[in-house]
Amino acid sequence: MRNVLLAFGIALLGLAWAQQRLVVAQGTDPITLDAPLAQDSPSATVVTHISETLFELTPEGRIVPLLAEGHSFSDGGKTLTIRLKRGITFHDGTPFNAEAVKFNLERFVSRELASPFAFLLSELERVEVVDPYTVRLRLKNPFAPVLAHLTHSSTAMQSPAAIQRFGAQYRDNPVGTGPYRFQAWQKGQFVDLVRNENYWGEKPPIPQVRFIPVPEGTTRVALVETGQAHVAVRIPPQDIARLQANRAIEVVRTPSLRTIYIYFNTQRPPFNDVRVRQALNHAVNKEEILQFVLGGIGRVSDAPIAPGIFGYTPVGKYEYNPQRAQELLRQAGVSTPFRVTLHCPTGRYFQDIQVCEAIQGQLRRVGVEATIQTLEWGAYLQETQRPLKDNRIQMAMLGWGTVTGDADYGLYPLFHSSQWAPGFNRSFFKNAEVDKLLAQARISTLPQGRQQLYREAMTRIWQNAPWLFLHSEVQVTAVRQEVQGFIVHPTERYLAYKARFR
Amino acid sequence: MLTYALRRLLIALPTLFGVVLLVFLMVRLAPGDPAVLLAGEFATPETLEAIRARYGLDRPLPEQFLLYLKALAQGDLGESAKSRRPVLEELKTYFPNTVQLASAAILVALLTGIPLGILAALRPGSGLDLAVMVLALVGVSMPVFWFGLLAILIFSVELGWFPVAGKGTLAHLVLPAITLGVNATALLARMTRGTLLEVLSQDYIRTARAKGVSERVVILKHALRNALIPVVTVAGLEFGSLLAGAVITETIFAWPGLGQLLVGSILARDYPVVQGAVLLVAFSFILVNLLVDLLYAWIDPRVRYD
Repeated sequence: MRNVLLAFGIALLGLAWAQQRLVVAQGTDPITLDAPLAQDSPSATVVTHISETLFELTPEGRIVPLLAEGHSFSDGGKTLTIRLKRGITFHDGTPFNAEAVKFNLERFVSRELASPFAFLLSELERVEVVDPYTVRLRLKNPFAPVLAHLTHSSTAMQSPAAIQRFGAQYRDNPVGTGPYRFQAWQKGQFVDLVRNENYWGEKPPIPQVRFIPVPEGTTRVALVETGQAHVAVRIPPQDIARLQANRAIEVVRTPSLRTIYIYFNTQRPPFNDVRVRQALNHAVNKEEILQFVLGGIGRVSDAPIAPGIFGYTPVGKYEYNPQRAQELLRQAGVSTPFRVTLHCPTGRYFQDIQVCEAIQGQLRRVGVEATIQTLEWGAYLQETQRPLKDNRIQMAMLGWGTVTGDADYGLYPLFHSSQWAPGFNRSFFKNAEVDKLLAQARISTLPQGRQQLYREAMTRIWQNAPWLFLHSEVQVTAVRQEVQGFIVHPTERYLAYKARFR
Repeated sequence: MLTYALRRLLIALPTLFGVVLLVFLMVRLAPGDPAVLLAGEFATPETLEAIRARYGLDRPLPEQFLLYLKALAQGDLGESAKSRRPVLEELKTYFPNTVQLASAAILVALLTGIPLGILAALRPGSGLDLAVMVLALVGVSMPVFWFGLLAILIFSVELGWFPVAGKGTLAHLVLPAITLGVNATALLARMTRGTLLEVLSQDYIRTARAKGVSERVVILKHALRNALIPVVTVAGLEFGSLLAGAVITETIFAWPGLGQLLVGSILARDYPVVQGAVLLVAFSFILVNLLVDLLYAWIDPRVRYD
């Protein structure tokens, strides 16, 4: 009996020791841990644990101060004054203050760094230090989304001393103010973080976190099933049923800010006729695609942007109605069967080519013969971003992740007429009302007013149907039951700092 | 022999140059703008321009190639456009892991394939022979991907004998090594069986038996030594292709090798890393070939090089 108890005790001890570390299986290894250069979600996920931004986008979609204490706009919205929290230091002991903010923001927009996200602060003219805990951002134009952009993980604050000391090696030695500090990165094997015992905020309950790269989805699932990992991200659809039957594992579904759509070239016949675009929206059964092609993983769009984004409101629904579609096509003078080429990526978005094939089948029922054309992703981007005169695309599938969580980023680049390709407005949509509303929402600094402007803009976009509206993505994550409070963020980051073991 | 080795090394140089040129052209002439892929979908024209300038993508193709060659001659493989680390550093991190995995796999193949082939050859037409040949056929034709996932489900998830994935203890190596080695095992078993049967029918074996040499000595000393010569060649070449072909196995088992690096870099159009990795693979293939030839000369006295 005593032996049994002893063995039990040792086992418990072992368990307690094992529970010191949370293991998260991601799809790939981070590419860099230097925040402004981290583009992919595994990199951004690790960076977020180490380095914090001035403001934070909560999983519920609110923008709240993080390293900032508060802010105010002045000069008609062209000046943003940010007060900083006091008494915060970076992991290397460097104080976090206005100088550090100035250093980080100037580095962020610098041409030498060439951060792919530099455009987030393209309106920034200069940064001024007012006093040790106050900075002033002078903008070229009033720009309401600037707060949202300062929540983006690429704008995270990193220790200026460390950046100067490590130089090019900084990407392997990140130093921030976050709840975890960087410990080790064995390339291709793991990134280890340990709790920051001097954290200014609420200290994370779990002392260590390890991120492991596991490219194959089924392997990630097996890791969670055997308990060798606590969390596996991006669960392949064919494994969901098996996981749901496993009582040790919880399958968590979280909306993503990414919307999938097929855009039309609205400047060329037949899609320059709004009735043809509406017809195709009625001809596609989006619920059916969600159910049978996406395995229920996703959400049928009811606006050009996804829920969880500031400014989102549902603005409509195109009922599945093939009769109505045929009628609209007739009114537009389109004689069926009419042939069209549908461009589609393969393997870029969840089930992308399968969705296109389903749409092809549904369009056939209303007399539209779509030929699917696929291209490798690099070539695909190049084709879709050609200026109008060289652009041969009639309709093509793309996805857009509104990474800032603000409607401006999800609407302005895609629908404002100043953004025609090679910009992101690849449907060559042009509508004076929408232009006006989107521009106004950019400079209006009152959240209430912005909401209203976006609702109107989206309603018009919806009726004008420059897109075949499809769905927004849902992230499926497997979390072991013993872990509580693990956050799957809509921006496709995975956060461990509120997680605890049961 | 030394002269031969040196001459072979010299011949390898134009081969390597050919590889460099081919890889360079292939990655550049593929459609799609690498700057767009590097900068991400959301980059502005200014960022794209900065990235093109940074990696010399704005210069004419011949100039880019000459610059690359020049750097290469100085032992500089460039900088990864994605991680901004020196390519050499990346290769140093990942390649040893691939060598480790491929070595373990070829060891599995040698230790199981050759004995199985010998057993089958000693009793041709028996049930054992049939079993080995069927296994070999299955082994050769089975998709690695399927085999690997099946191995995980059975030996890790159900039985809990081995870790699912990753690198660490020796136990981590077992499943990926078997998965990667299964094709080579099957190939070596068939090969050993075939050559051994052929040798056993030769006159000198009959002579040895007639002289009253024990069967054990006949098989081990007279037959096997000759039968294994072509097997060594095949094993060597197999090792070379394991180095290059571990991509799928590495992906399934999250093994941090060159294959993983290569796939990620191809998808990201990370030219410098793709070029560096392919060059390294080509180089090791050439090296393995050379070693096989030298080994050949060593074990088979009939082979002489002048």
